[in-house]
Amino acid sequence: MSAATSRPGTADRSTVTETIKLRLRAPARLRNLELLLLIFAGAIGTGALVLVQLGALGAVDSTVISFGAGVLGLSLVMHIALRFVAVEADPFILPIATLLNGLGIAMIYRIDIAQGQLGWEASGLRQMAWTAIAMAAALAVLIAIRNHRVLQRYRYIAMFVGIGLLLLPLIPGVGREINGAQVWIGIGPQREDGSVPLSFQPGELAKIALAVFFAGYLVTARDSLSLVGRKFLGMRFPRVRDLGPILIIWLASMGVLVFQRDLGTSLLYFGLFLVMIYVATGRLSWVLLGLSMFVGGAILASQILGYVGNRFNGWLDAFNDDIYNQAGGSYQLVQGIFGMAGGGLIGTGLGQGRPDIVPFADSDFIIASLGEELGLTGLFAILALFLLFVSRGFRIGFAGQDDFGRLLGVGLSFVIALQVFIVIGGITRVIPLTGLTTPFMAAGGSSLLANWIIAALLLRLSDTVRNQPRLVVES
Amino acid sequence: MSELTLLVLRLAFLLVLWGFIFLVVYSLRSDLFGQPVRRQAVATDAGAAPFAAASTPAPSVAPVQRPSSPVSSLPDNTRPAATASSARRLVITSGAKEGLELPLSNLPLTIGRSAESGLVIRDDYTSTHHARLMILNDAWVIQDLDSTNGTFLDGRRVVVPTQVPLNTPIKIGTTSFELRR
Repeated sequence: MSAATSRPGTADRSTVTETIKLRLRAPARLRNLELLLLIFAGAIGTGALVLVQLGALGAVDSTVISFGAGVLGLSLVMHIALRFVAVEADPFILPIATLLNGLGIAMIYRIDIAQGQLGWEASGLRQMAWTAIAMAAALAVLIAIRNHRVLQRYRYIAMFVGIGLLLLPLIPGVGREINGAQVWIGIGPQREDGSVPLSFQPGELAKIALAVFFAGYLVTARDSLSLVGRKFLGMRFPRVRDLGPILIIWLASMGVLVFQRDLGTSLLYFGLFLVMIYVATGRLSWVLLGLSMFVGGAILASQILGYVGNRFNGWLDAFNDDIYNQAGGSYQLVQGIFGMAGGGLIGTGLGQGRPDIVPFADSDFIIASLGEELGLTGLFAILALFLLFVSRGFRIGFAGQDDFGRLLGVGLSFVIALQVFIVIGGITRVIPLTGLTTPFMAAGGSSLLANWIIAALLLRLSDTVRNQPRLVVES
Repeated sequence: MSELTLLVLRLAFLLVLWGFIFLVVYSLRSDLFGQPVRRQAVATDAGAAPFAAASTPAPSVAPVQRPSSPVSSLPDNTRPAATASSARRLVITSGAKEGLELPLSNLPLTIGRSAESGLVIRDDYTSTHHARLMILNDAWVIQDLDSTNGTFLDGRRVVVPTQVPLNTPIKIGTTSFELRR
């Protein structure tokens, strides 16, 4: 608690007033809880790897397990660093992210086994390497950014960085088209099968930069966006001249839809902006306006652009034989649903299903693979983990002391929630299928890197929120 | 490895996974159900009785508000407003920690029973997130966060965010405090 020292008062000598010297709450209670949860999470992740080997190979290969456990052990390094640089940070974010990451590694390794990829090029080992890189990046962010308010100063730089990262894949020579979407940059020559030695999806990092920009911009602009306007149907609608920002974001996301042919990313950026403007202004009219703009644009795109139309057909009429057999049809979606149905309530068990039948079983469709082998029970556990992660983020935003921090906390956690909804909604046929990665789980370095940086920013925000002068009055 | 062992292991894995989730939720319980109320062992002295000061002008006589304006101020505008530069500290004038003071920065200060509040007041009358002191247009403003038992500025219940003059008591539960130079 706080230690009180009496001040040799100058003017207040007559009163009983004392100055409180406020210090940190001494024992790192939160960090000890985090350590407990982290050991638990690491054990579950390692246990998943062991179960995969027992189920698929029938024997335990200690090399891979020690690699996996070593990578998950890196989160302990992060935990120790948090004891020094962010003592009051939220104790749940790091364990939950570690557990999700560990489950993802186990499932990717399991699909490697099924596809017979066991060398150093296997996706499972690459994912472990990327996890180590991503955790190192998160640690660097935590150490470099000691106070989130410095980010507010760089909001316009963040805007240019975000837009630049979005546009990067469109530059000839740098951009690569992989699986129909122009959202990658690659280094090195393109191989026969379209893969490149090192490829990266810069759009994943753009979502962080854009969240920083939206938060900084809305803090300054929200008065003009929320207080003026005319009332119509019981809601206050904004003036036409205040529509500029939402139009620009709408155009940008439509540009992603048309030129990069990526429905999911486009929905992600636009949804992020809508939620942040709603949180900043408290006006429902912005959400209605934005949603009708996006739905209008998407319907138009589904009529004009072939690939969007295909996605809609594959969603609405997935079990139609023609659409199932068509190139770019619903084969993948339906196979994923069959897999999850085969898993049933408790799953086939790790290493004992056939998740590799689904194309991209380790990246876009990792949720279907997990649903097959862990069943509905395991899938709901994963959803509960995401729910807890996002609710912690919202809680950090709610408890924030400054408007920028509040908006940033809400924006960063909402972007994870929306991404989970778009991916899992697509796989379970709630919404049209779009190619996005499941945060922390899917194979892919850029996604892992971006999500660990988001986790680091949330940790930093939660530390500054709690680390304020406090006074406790107990009667 | 027999089928049975694998079945047991796979059920155990799901149980452990859910065990982790329940451990997290258990650690979060104060977030879900609010901070536990601590019963007072004995009633404190008469001066700290709840609503002793608040009962003088009845709370039902709400101050005349201008609903159009987001910030209201007290009817008598004689006392100087507490601005970011003039108010330096928050002094507790009655209640359990009478006489203690808290230096004010220019950041908002949250008040409530929750451990995350800047000023934590734990008594039977304070809500988890009770009120917030913040700077609006260079003046300190108190905002009631829909608390159950209300926030009283100079004896009047705070309904809309209200400007706080210097040396004016704000009462929350059994605690009163003032902003001073």
